[in-house]
Parts: sequence; structure tokens; C-alpha cells
Amino acid sequence: MAKVLVIADIKQGVLKGSTLELLSKARAIGAETAVVAIGKNISSLAADMAKAGSNTQYIADDASLELFSAGPYASCVVDAAKQSNADMIWFGFSEGGKAVAPRVAAQLGAACATEIIDVTLTGGNIEIVRPAIANKVMQRVKINSKQLVAVVRAGAFQATEGNAGKENVVKLSIPAADLRAVIKEILSDATGDVDLADADIVVSVGRGAKDQAGVNLVKELANDLKAGFGSSRAMVDGGFMAHNKQVGQTGKIVAPTLYMAMGISGAIQHLAGMNGSKVILAVNKDPEAPIFNVADYGIVGDLFEVVPILREELKKIRK
Amino acid sequence: MNPLLMSILLIIALTIFGRTMVRKIQLLMALEPTAAGRTDRIMDRIKNVVIIALGQKRLVGRKKEFVSGLMHAFIFWGFCVLLIRSITLYGEGFAHGFQLPIFNENFLLGYLYIGLKDIMEGIVLVMAAYAIFRRAVIKPERLHNTWEAYFVLCMIVTLMISDLLLDGARYNLITLYNNPGNLHFFNNLSYGNEFIWTPVSVAAASLISPLGADATGYVMTAMFWLHIITQLTFLNFLPIGKHFHVITSLPNVFLKSLGYPHEKTKLLNLEDESVWEDESLGMNHIHQLNWKQGLDLYTCTECGRCKEVCPAFSTDKPLNLYDFNQDLKHELHANSDKIIKRKKLSLALANEPDEARKEEIKAQMAGLKSEKSLVGDVIKEDTLWACTTCRACEEVCPVTIEHVPRIMAMRQGQTLMAGVYPKELNTALKGLERNGNPWGIGYDKRADWAEGLGVKTMAEDSDVDYLLWVGCAGSFDDRTKKVSVSIVKILQKAGINFAILGTEEKCTGDFARRAGNEMMYQAMARENIETLNNYKVKKIIAACPHCLNTLKHEYPQLDGNYEVIHHTEFIEGLVRSGKIKLNKALEGSLTYHDPCYLGRYNSIYDQPRSLLSAISKDGFKELDRHANESFCCGAGGARMWLEETIGKRINLARAEEIADRNVATVAVGCPFCLTMVEDGMKELGKEEQIKTRDIAELVAGNMA
Amino acid sequence: MKILTTVKKVVDVELNIHIKDGAIVEDGLQYVINAWDENAVEAAVQLKEKNNAETTLVSLGGGDNADIIRKCYAMGIDEGIHVDDPALAKADSFVYANVLKKIVEKGGYDLVITGKQAQDTDSGQTGIMLAEFLGFPCVSNVVALEVLDETHVKVSRLGDSGTEIIELALPAVVTVSDSINEPRLPAMRGIMMAKKKKIDSMDLAGLGTSGADVGCGALKSEIAEFMASKTRKAGRKFEGDAAKITAEVVGLLATEAKVF
Repeated sequence: MAKVLVIADIKQGVLKGSTLELLSKARAIGAETAVVAIGKNISSLAADMAKAGSNTQYIADDASLELFSAGPYASCVVDAAKQSNADMIWFGFSEGGKAVAPRVAAQLGAACATEIIDVTLTGGNIEIVRPAIANKVMQRVKINSKQLVAVVRAGAFQATEGNAGKENVVKLSIPAADLRAVIKEILSDATGDVDLADADIVVSVGRGAKDQAGVNLVKELANDLKAGFGSSRAMVDGGFMAHNKQVGQTGKIVAPTLYMAMGISGAIQHLAGMNGSKVILAVNKDPEAPIFNVADYGIVGDLFEVVPILREELKKIRK
Repeated sequence: MNPLLMSILLIIALTIFGRTMVRKIQLLMALEPTAAGRTDRIMDRIKNVVIIALGQKRLVGRKKEFVSGLMHAFIFWGFCVLLIRSITLYGEGFAHGFQLPIFNENFLLGYLYIGLKDIMEGIVLVMAAYAIFRRAVIKPERLHNTWEAYFVLCMIVTLMISDLLLDGARYNLITLYNNPGNLHFFNNLSYGNEFIWTPVSVAAASLISPLGADATGYVMTAMFWLHIITQLTFLNFLPIGKHFHVITSLPNVFLKSLGYPHEKTKLLNLEDESVWEDESLGMNHIHQLNWKQGLDLYTCTECGRCKEVCPAFSTDKPLNLYDFNQDLKHELHANSDKIIKRKKLSLALANEPDEARKEEIKAQMAGLKSEKSLVGDVIKEDTLWACTTCRACEEVCPVTIEHVPRIMAMRQGQTLMAGVYPKELNTALKGLERNGNPWGIGYDKRADWAEGLGVKTMAEDSDVDYLLWVGCAGSFDDRTKKVSVSIVKILQKAGINFAILGTEEKCTGDFARRAGNEMMYQAMARENIETLNNYKVKKIIAACPHCLNTLKHEYPQLDGNYEVIHHTEFIEGLVRSGKIKLNKALEGSLTYHDPCYLGRYNSIYDQPRSLLSAISKDGFKELDRHANESFCCGAGGARMWLEETIGKRINLARAEEIADRNVATVAVGCPFCLTMVEDGMKELGKEEQIKTRDIAELVAGNMA
Repeated sequence: MKILTTVKKVVDVELNIHIKDGAIVEDGLQYVINAWDENAVEAAVQLKEKNNAETTLVSLGGGDNADIIRKCYAMGIDEGIHVDDPALAKADSFVYANVLKKIVEKGGYDLVITGKQAQDTDSGQTGIMLAEFLGFPCVSNVVALEVLDETHVKVSRLGDSGTEIIELALPAVVTVSDSINEPRLPAMRGIMMAKKKKIDSMDLAGLGTSGADVGCGALKSEIAEFMASKTRKAGRKFEGDAAKITAEVVGLLATEAKVF
């Protein structure tokens, strides 16, 4: 039986939905499941991780692991991978995952694939599917080595209700801090914002908002819906939005249930970051804007006019 | 009067004048040569002199400035007339009763002349007085009130008054005091005596009639010398200020560019390594002006018309052509010694066989470079990049100064040598480099707009009568694609056998060249020329005035010679020949915004109007600023790809002007104008009331 | 300080990519410098200007890479190495990282700057693996880079919970994001001068290694086939009175799409 080790995605002490998605997929392909969790004060999450479907929980819980540091994190994963003898090691889609996965692969001498959207296992042969060339093509990749380290693209796997696993905690030894790459500080994101990667609804703002007043207007809509608030590249470059709010190929890749593009024209780099969304609603003044080519529902209009109406109408429905 | 005094005055005045002029001419001769000869097509040149200089076309020909234009014209014509009178006066200085051949009392011509001269003096006097009044009281915005201007006007007044009083005193001495000095006057039985021909001088005479005989005699002598001295002072004053134009404007008009409205952007030889080493590409230092550009600076009259019509200046950009010219002129004069010395050295260098000596000369020449860089030190960068190359300034300049080529040459210097240019251009330049269009959209999508329209590509069938040159906007910009489709509909309806290049077409390189990026321009141009020549293309219909201009006027510099015609011109021909019939069905009033590169650069003014009149049911209205004085949309000269952060946006200013005209539709003939005007309308919230349409769209929608 | 940057020649992502029989149709494609590598080159050139660094670039595979290497010369890179070998035809990140390791060992570089990923594969592994193979510390997704002293640089990395400020001991590897800088368009003068500059071209043997040595014989993964991406279809577009159409769309979100 194949063994899959899923790296738990934990943010602010909470196990993220993506971990459940990955574990669901692992079970779906008939694999034995384990998770590895790294951080500070996270041992209490063992039960959650078991509930999510894992049968073994490798936990590295230490104050030194509070801040993300790719080197030590990779050591923990490699340790767990060796202990569990995993065939596949899956990371959820995050900057941390993207930084750690190649390290783990290099250390294990395993194959590495990022942004995979599907994985099949036929008689010990692993194949994955992943997009390439800015989502313009898909690659089916044959994995020759015994082990695969993979980063799974956001929204690729669905969480399914299934049997809970069992709690079987294995404490990992705590690696030494990486003294050659010392984190001095983290300028953290605006707190209280809904996490883009996790949000069920994402509202994004683009050039159509023109300035800060426009951005604030769209932000209100996001607040109403308790949605993640994202941005196109233009608004980041314009200084209206933080870098970490940028949805797109070079920023966050999101796949929410509903993606609302407000005043975003839809450059290919932006589309690459959100076209996995289930339903896309776009509001744009220009009827020819490329965003309408991917939107399920398109409203041709000025967001300054449409957004207030949208808020009112949504309030009515959600009551 | 007094040959000795006259001789002394003349010798002093002419010596000083001669020295000044020699110096000025030396400086011109030390400047760079012009790209094209300036003495070909003599008849055309004479015609220009007659119409523009002597006829004062750009002064009296502009409705907006008719009165002041007339004022200047009469002063000018007055001076021309007075030249003959002056010769007579100098003669009088040497010989009592001197008369010119023909212009004497034995000929009617002599009488006609003194009559004309008399009236003209009166008129010039009035005009000079009006000029002073206008400067002092009306104060038109474009004029700079300098002491020099008033001083010259006072001299003109002095010249007129002294001559009139001179004649008045003479008349009084003859008629009232029995002609004590045996003074000469016209008295031919056939034509009567001088007095009845010269009412203004007679009036001057009556003004001083109370003076006694002696006093009148003194007045006459005094006025004579006053006139002569003023004139000689005036002569010497001319070259040192803006009134040099009195001397230089006729030659400047004679030497103006022919065939193309101004000197074409210089085709630089980028493969020559030495030009990169000695930094001689483009214009970075004042000695790189060509002699005609130097003459332009001599000739600038500081009238300010250029800045008044300038889209950049009138929307508060830092480009003020008045200052621009003044700053260059000062820099030129400040470096005149160096420039002349440098020229001598460069001639010596050319004849020097010894390598070591050559290096020495080169080093000396480098030492004679002006201290200031033209851009940065003399002209600010923002000023240089504000120009839209619309040429409005050149169309109104009464002395045909060519402003734009200098700006182009300076941009070449900035982009090629200094590498200093607005960074916003990078995205567009990168797009050009990779995919042959400023948006950087994949070149493979260039013909997507034509899908399903039944348009052939040259690759499919190159045996066609015309190549339709679509342009980047027509290929990639969603709004302009509709114009491309309209053109296709019209051509198909008329049964024209045409094709497009499809994915083989690339940007003509217009905006790169206007941005001074000669390297990118030549790369684009050479690739296009190769493609065009491979298909043996002869006739091109261009859907964009910028493409038209580049294909037609600039590709020949690289041996790409084609017959190029803008779609408006072509469609108008189709209508004239009956291949396209139009309905006079377009409702609502209609106006037309002249694109600069269609109008001012290519003189296509009538064809668009003829088409629009043919389809408009409710009438065609002109904009206040139209035809050769049309106001730029703001996108020319690579400005399409630059942010417009200073002052009011040009397209908004134009949109407001159009909106004020209360029309239902504004027609354009250029994709840039289409975008800019339509965006302006959107900003005003009037895009629904006032539709912005290309002429081709209007024609396609109103074909019978 | 000696800096090595890596540049890859990749398909121009602005073009439509067509697939036939599981392979990409090469006809009509053009190849350009990887955009993130351009950021890496710009970062290196800035360090050259600010900190007098010596800059070298290496480009692996790709056939005729002279155009992109000269472009980088024109941007200000001092030296260029091009390693190409038939053995590299199907190379993956592992192989590339192994070849780069040889280059770094040979040249003794203090800092390796790579783009965070290549536009053709979007993998983002090579730089990080290179660091592992070399035993260098590494920071990925870097958005700011500053030299502290001869042995340390300070970098900012966009992480999951904010911008991480990290002090990195040299020698090290960083992979840069496009937010780090705006790559310059080379000065014309530089373009002309770059035409004459030498490119140090070699095959694997020239580098003192072999295909087997860098892992070409036992590829860890192989692309079995290319497939066309599933494209979303355009849905419905509503135009007209804003109040009316907005209400209609909100209704559909609830009843048809069932997202509320």
C-alpha cells in the first residue's frame, strides 16, 4: 500500500482546509495517510489531524519553529518522510510549500513536482498532471523515481467526508536553527483580513477602481461577505494594495467557490491565478475586457455604480 | 547734403554691420550640413517666398489674428516700399537733388512711387502706433513685452515721422519760402506736381507751417540726418535681437524643407562604431545643430504663435517653444567661438594623414564641446518629452521655423547615447521587440480580428492590387478592430482585390522613432521592408496615419518604396469613381477632428470632409481648431505610451472643445485619436451623446 | 563579490500554444529570456553598480542562446557562459541544478541569483535544489536584496504570513520574484558594445562532467505528454441598466450557481 505524507498547513494555530483536501485525495487513491505538522504549540492539533483522515501524526512542536524557516522545516519533513517511508510527500499550495518541497526532494533524492492538479497511482507507477507555460498547457509527467515530493495546486483536490483516521502522534526531533539564514522579522499582513487562499469567496479589485476611494468601496463589499480581498497587479504596482494581496501567476493562486473580479480587465497572468474558481463574477466597464471570456456572469458597468447596488442586493439575499 | 558726414556714417555703420554679419554667417557655416539640399526646386522656393514671406500668408491668412497680421504685413510692406526711398536719401547725402533712374519725375512710375511711399508711411505710422498700443494696453498673451520690442517700434515711428517731416519741411521751404536752397521736387506737366501726390507729407507740412524759414530749414536738415542715423542704427540693431528676422526671414523661407513639411528624422548609421565612441548620434550638444536650424534660431521673431497653438503648452506642460528657441539661441551664441574653432579643426582632421596628429586634433575637438548638454542643462527633460510632434507650431510659424526635427534629434541623443528616456516606454518597446506591437500581445494573434471576414493574407495570395496595412491598433485594440472590419467591408463591397500581411505585419516603428529609438525603428522597418519586398508590394492602403507617414515618407530612406494611401483617401476615391455609393442618412450633426499625421503631415484635409458631407443628413460643422490648425489628441510623438501627469490632459481639452460644439458624432481618421477622443468623452460622461467614430465606420454604416 | 545569475530561454508566453499528438507544435513559436531571470539579471547588475560586484551569467541548453546572453551583456553583465549538450535535451530541475553546481564550484561565486521559476515549466525548483546540492543557504521568492557586508546580504521574502526579512550568510542562493525590480531595457550603446563580446560556450565535457554525472541517465521524472488546458467558457454578459442587471445577476448567483 502506497504511503502519502501530507504536510499540514497551519496558520495562526488552525489547521487549514487544504490539509483535509490533500488527505481526502490520498485516501481516494487508496494510500496510507500520515501528516507532518511543524510549528509552535501545535501538538493540540493532533486530534484535528486525525479527524481529517490521517493515521499517523508526525509533530515537531517547538518555540524555535514558530517562524517559518525553510531549512529546519525541510529537515522535519525529511525526518518524517524517512520514518514513515512515504512514497509521496504532498505540500498544500503555499509559499512555504514551494520553498520546502525542492529541498526535501533534493535531500531524499526524490522526484519533485510543483502545482500538480492530479495524481494517479497505477501499480506503483506515479503519474501527475500539472499546468505549465502560464496555464496554457497541461503536462502529464511520469515519475521515474520511487518517491515523489509534490506541491498541490490550490483547489485541485476536493475535501470529501470520510472516515476519520486515528491519533498516533510521533514526536520529531527538533532541528537546529539555520544560522546562515536568520529571520530578523516578519512584517505581517494586515491582521483580521480573511486569508485569500482559504476564503470561500474572494473579491478582487483592479484598475477600474482608479484610486484608494475605489479600493475602499470594493473592500466594503468584501467585508460584507467576509470574503478574502485580493487585487490585480495594477493596483499593487499603483501602491493601493499590498503585494501579498495580488492574485495571479506571480502572486496568490486562489480557487474559491465564488470569485468576484471588480474592475479587473483580466490579463493572462491574473487569469492564471483565479481561473480555477468555481464561479466567476466580473464587473467591468469595458464590454470587451478579457475577464468576460472566463466569467460565468459578467456585468458591463462602472464598479462605482454597480458595487453599491451589488451590496444592497446581496444583503437582501443573505438575510 | 554733406558727402563727408554721409561717408563717415556709412563707413562706420556698414563696417560694424559687416563684421556682425560675417560672424553670424561663419557660425552658420560651422554648423552641421542639412540632410537634404536646400537650393533645389528654385521655382517652388520662390513661390514660397512670394506667398509666405512677401505675401505674409501666415499673418494675414489666419482669421484669428487678422488685425495684428495686417498690422505686421503693412509695416513689412511699408519697409519694402521705403527701400527705394532710402536709396534716394543716401544719394541725396552725396549729391544735391539726387534721383534714381525710372523712379523720377520723368516717369509716371516715379509719381506712383512717391504716392505709394507717402501713403505707406502714413499707414506704417498708424500701424506702429497700434503695435505699441497693442503691446502696452491689449497685451495679447503670446507676446513677450521686451524693451527691445518697444525700442524697435519707436525707431520705426521715428523713421516714419522724420521722413514725413523731412518732406513736409521741404514742401514748406518750396511753397512758403520761395525754395531758398533750390530744392528739387517733382513737377512734370503730364502728372502735375509732387504735392498733389503726397497728401500725408502735405499734412505734415501744414503741421509745421507756423515755423519760420530758418527753423524750417533746420528741421529739414535735422530730419534728414535723424532719418539716416536711425536707419543705420536700426540696421545694426537688427542682427543682435529678434529683429534679425527682418534680414533672415526671406532666406529662411526660401530655404525651407520641400516635399515633406520638415526635415525628416535623420537616418542614423548605427553600425558605424565610431559614432558610439564619440557620442555623435542625435543632438546632445549645440554644435550638432545643422546650419538651417541655426538660421531658424536667428529668424525666431519671438511672436509666440508656436506656443499658443502647442497642445503641450496650452495644457500646462513645461514645453514652451518660445523659451525653447531662446534657450537654444543663447546656447548657440555662447558657444559660437568654440563651434567655429571646432569646425576648423574638423576640416583639418579630414585632411590630416598622420595618425598621431589626428588623435591630437580629436582631443582638441573634444575640448571644444559645449559645457552644457542640450538636454538636462539647456532644455529640461520633461520639456523635451512633452512634445506630441503635432506640428501645429510649424504650421503657424510666419517664418517657417522647423521645431519638431530638433526635438526628434535631441530625443535620439537622449535615447541612444545617454539612455535617458521615460521608463514607461520600456513595456511598449519590449512588446515591439518581441511581438512587433507595443502591447506585447503575441504576434500570432495579429490577424485574429479578420477571422471569418474572408480576408486573404499575402502568404495565401500575393497577387493582389493592394495591401491593406492594418497597423497594431487595428489588429490588437478591440475598439480599433471595429474600424479594421469596417474598412474590409468597404473594400469588399467595392470589389477591391486586396490582402493583409496577417501575422507577418509588424509595427512600422513610428513610435520608437518618435521616441528617439532609432535602433528599434530600423529593426522594425527593415523587417517590414523585407516582407513587403518579398511580396513585391507596390500599393499600400494604410489604416493608420502614423503607419501611413512612416511607410510613405520614412521607409524610402531604407529603400522601401511604395505607393501609400490612407484609407480615407482611398475610400473617397471609391466614392468618386462610383464604386461605393453613400446614403445621406447619418442623423445628428457631425464634426471632424483632424489627425495630425493625416492633416499637417500629409495634407489630407478635403477627402475626409467630402466623405462626411456625403453621409451627414443634418450637416457638418467645423471645430474651432481644425484643418492645419487642428488640436492634437495628445497621443502623437510616442506620447500614446507615456503617462500624462503634468497639467491638464490634452485629450480632455480636445474632448471639451468637441463637446462644446454640440454634435452627435465626432469623426476621426486615426486609431490614436479614436482612443484619446473617446476616452476624453468618457471622462466627460458624454460618450453616449457624442459618438466617436472613424470615418471608415461611418462610411460602412451608410453605404447604399 | 562574485555573482552568478542563471538565464533560461523559454517559449514566449504571449503566444498561443498548440498541442498535437501530445507535443507542443513548435511552428511559429519564438523563444525569449525567462522573465524572472531578467529580474535576476537586473538584481545582479544593480549589485554591480552599487557594490562593485563581478557579474557572470550562465545559460543552460536552449540551442542558440547568444541573443539572450548578449541582451544580458547589454544590461551590464560582465561575462557569459553557455553550457549546451545533447544530453540536456530532456533535463529536469535536478539535472540543471547538478550542472549549475559544477559551474558554481568552478567559478567560486559568493551569490547565485536565479529567477523564482521558468516561464516554460513554472516549476520553481532549480535554484533551491542547487542550494541544497551546494550546501548553501537559500531564500526563495525574494522581493528585495541588499548587501550588508562582504559575507552577508539582507533579503526580503514574500512568505505566507507576511514579508520575511532574512539575513543570509554568503555564499548563498536566492531566487527572485518579479516584484524585486523592473528590468532595464538595455542602453543602445550597450547593445552595440555587447555584439563584440565573447560568450564562453561549452558542452558538459568542457565543464568537466558528463550527462551521466549530472543525472541525465536516470531522470527522476519525464514529461509523458502535453495536453491542451481546459479553458473556461465565457458565461453570460449583462449590459444595460445597472440596478436591473445587478439584481438579476445576484438572483442567478443564488438560484442558478447556488453560491449563496
